[in-house]
Amino acid sequence: MATKDRKRRGKWDTFKSDEAQSSSGAGGSDKDTAAAVPKAASHNLNADNTSSVMVDEFGAKDYRKDMPLKGDFTARPLWVAPDGHIFLESFSPVYKHARDFLIAISEPVCRPQHIHEYQLTAYSLYAAVSVGLQTKDIIEYLERLSKSQLPKGVITFIQMCTVSYGKVKLVLKHNRYFVESRHSDVMQKLLKDTVIQSCILDDRVQPAQQTNEPAQEKIKFSHGNEKDISEKDGGDAADGNVPADIDEFYGKIDGDDEEDAEIRNLQLLTFEIKQETIETVQRRCIELEYPLLAEYDFRNDTMNPNLGIDLKPSTTLRPYQEKSLRKMFGNSRARSGVIVLPCGAGKTLVGVTAVTTVNKRCLVLANSNVSVEQWRAQFKLWSTIQDKQLVRFTREAKDPAPSGADATKPVVCISTYSMVAYSGRRTLQAEEAMKFIEKQEWGLLLLDEVHTIPAKMFRRVLTIVQAHCKLGLTATLVREDDKITDLNFLIGPKIYEANWMELQKAGHIAKVQCAEVWCPMTSAFYSYYLRFFIRYPLNLNIFFRSQIARKLLLAVMNPNKFRICQFLIKFHERRNDKIIVFSDNVFALKRYAIEMQKPFLYGETSQNERMKILQNFQYNPRVNTIFVSKVADTSFDLPEANVLIQISAHGGSRRQEAQRLGRILRAKKHSTDQFNAFFYSLVSQDTVEMGYSRKRQRFLVNQGYAYKVVNKLPGMESEDLKLATKESQLQLLSQVLATSDADAEEEDIKEELADGTIRIARREATMASMSGGQGAQYHAKAKAITERHPLFKRFRQ
Amino acid sequence: MVNVKKGVLVTSDPAFRQLLIHLDDSRQLGSKFIVRELDDTHLFIEKEIVPSLESKVEQIMENMNPETNDNK
Repeated sequence: MATKDRKRRGKWDTFKSDEAQSSSGAGGSDKDTAAAVPKAASHNLNADNTSSVMVDEFGAKDYRKDMPLKGDFTARPLWVAPDGHIFLESFSPVYKHARDFLIAISEPVCRPQHIHEYQLTAYSLYAAVSVGLQTKDIIEYLERLSKSQLPKGVITFIQMCTVSYGKVKLVLKHNRYFVESRHSDVMQKLLKDTVIQSCILDDRVQPAQQTNEPAQEKIKFSHGNEKDISEKDGGDAADGNVPADIDEFYGKIDGDDEEDAEIRNLQLLTFEIKQETIETVQRRCIELEYPLLAEYDFRNDTMNPNLGIDLKPSTTLRPYQEKSLRKMFGNSRARSGVIVLPCGAGKTLVGVTAVTTVNKRCLVLANSNVSVEQWRAQFKLWSTIQDKQLVRFTREAKDPAPSGADATKPVVCISTYSMVAYSGRRTLQAEEAMKFIEKQEWGLLLLDEVHTIPAKMFRRVLTIVQAHCKLGLTATLVREDDKITDLNFLIGPKIYEANWMELQKAGHIAKVQCAEVWCPMTSAFYSYYLRFFIRYPLNLNIFFRSQIARKLLLAVMNPNKFRICQFLIKFHERRNDKIIVFSDNVFALKRYAIEMQKPFLYGETSQNERMKILQNFQYNPRVNTIFVSKVADTSFDLPEANVLIQISAHGGSRRQEAQRLGRILRAKKHSTDQFNAFFYSLVSQDTVEMGYSRKRQRFLVNQGYAYKVVNKLPGMESEDLKLATKESQLQLLSQVLATSDADAEEEDIKEELADGTIRIARREATMASMSGGQGAQYHAKAKAITERHPLFKRFRQ
Repeated sequence: MVNVKKGVLVTSDPAFRQLLIHLDDSRQLGSKFIVRELDDTHLFIEKEIVPSLESKVEQIMENMNPETNDNK
């Protein structure tokens, strides 16, 4: 990304004061501060015209009067509602056309089988513009796809949001910064501005000079490009009743994001600006409502040496991976943004391909040591990279930073967020590695699991790392605190989002049967459950919270749940399945695992032991089941696993549910039409778990997954299960009641060392955070668990 | 001497029975109302208490699902 701030480089001790005044632009990005968000972004559609609309008892809106149908509406797939929601018929012959377009311009809200819902937002339109769509194209194509006339409000909304975006680009070419535009009026306006005038190189105010557009060589990805296109053509010919205008337009939209021929004929106007004034220019441009889109012309970057790696010939990209990358490298330049793919759909390969395409120094940031190892392995697997070009920088595995003659050679560095953002004293070795990272000019900054980074930490990373281009990868662009939209302006717009159901149909990810298993509480457990407070006061003090933790523990330790869990494990082990059992609660985790004599793994487990357990799980046919705590939520690549049982979870966090599902989504070898992966969520009936469970499922339901509710499992009676007798159950109960207090204490002391959700009981938090409502806190905590940096805590204060 | 009391037979699952017993013990409805605990799934309760008990149970059930209420 071409947004750099050389003045600030190295001043990392001043960071804290920067952060205090959040509008000071502490990061390297123009979209980095609240003030830097363009005004139009705060507009939304809802306020305008909802007053006159009839709403029925279920909250459905009646737009019949406002939306007269067109004559040939049956051939058109879209309903565009005046509130910015768009409904797409997935069975329509032009579905394919409409889908790609809608993903580009709007946010998918809900995508079940037949009707998909999308929403137009300021952010999504910003993203659309940044991948090269023009205002009038968006409106025209939407109009053609719609069954009815486009509501006026929607048109003005689109115009308002897009008219000023994407007109001006900041391009880094030959290590000089250019502001580039094809719109002379905009250019005039910028040139007349006194602030910008002062930033232009050669103080004489030069008339915008015309440059010859370099021949655009399109970037090809290794395979399948042509095939893909011909496939599309074949498909189009097949469905006869596509209205001609839609079809013709599709080619235009799909012809990637090449700018309109008409626009292309306009002169390309550029002027060069002084490097040290980049930030001023960026801020000024936002004030003028023409935010700069940053692009990195890596082909013409001669300052930074090439990495000289390529994908191995045997590596093939799947169509959707290629599509996402084509969006990113649209006009032979790299743009920053986020790519959203389901877990297990090959995000890593997309990342590796992006690195080989840019072919410059690259910094990969992941969120745990295990995933750092996985990235390293993947780099070796897919690309021709050599060992000495890969530098790991984590707490446990520090490869020495290149020095001497090698120092200037380009490398791929893999590290973790907390390692880079860590603000305290480091060991000598780490200090050197950090200096190395700070000193480099990175071609590409790759951010794995980008949804987990709290904005604060992210800004910190950006102050340290100088990167031309940022690519975020994630599966779940949701957060309970809705801070996800910040990412749009911190990294860049969402470039691509895949549809889970379609990947599943195509066999790229596993077919998962989701089931919610209701476990009745035994009366003894329930009577104790009730003894703790029934109601949830809004302001929880410590006493109440410990009560709730105890309640949750009782719900998790429900003997019926234990029995069902054991039954499911036995059932699936007989089918030779590989099973992962998730429990957020460490006490329950240990109890379950020890009782069933299975290996378990949680925050305190050492790296060595973790690796050993995971390897045994992968290769040892006698270890078919492991118990894990939430440390395994993200980035634990366990391709063998195909059954997941969840016995306790973090409140109502939708993201956790989706990430956990992701552990078993990797496509299985023997794929048939049958379901080949199973996701069980065990829920104690009549407890608060029921409510949480419903909330957690929302994200996956929106992706089109259906949960089956299971009340009773056939065959349970004939199975030899533990805790069958009342006595053993009562014994367990007394243990739970006796140990939970001590256990909570224990977890409390080792706050930043240990995992364990009993700790929730001691944290100063609101009800919202208990239910996953405060995403930021939750991420920070998860980080602390995997990394355990004492000073990371200091950073959080 | 013979005591006659009108009552209602409640059939429920063990968990709900436990909830009723809890309400009875803690006297949240002002008084005790269970006449006799018959077996794992049956209770015999006073007839007069039924309306207030119903509303109480409703309220408890709502409190158990805090989120679903918030979203309404």
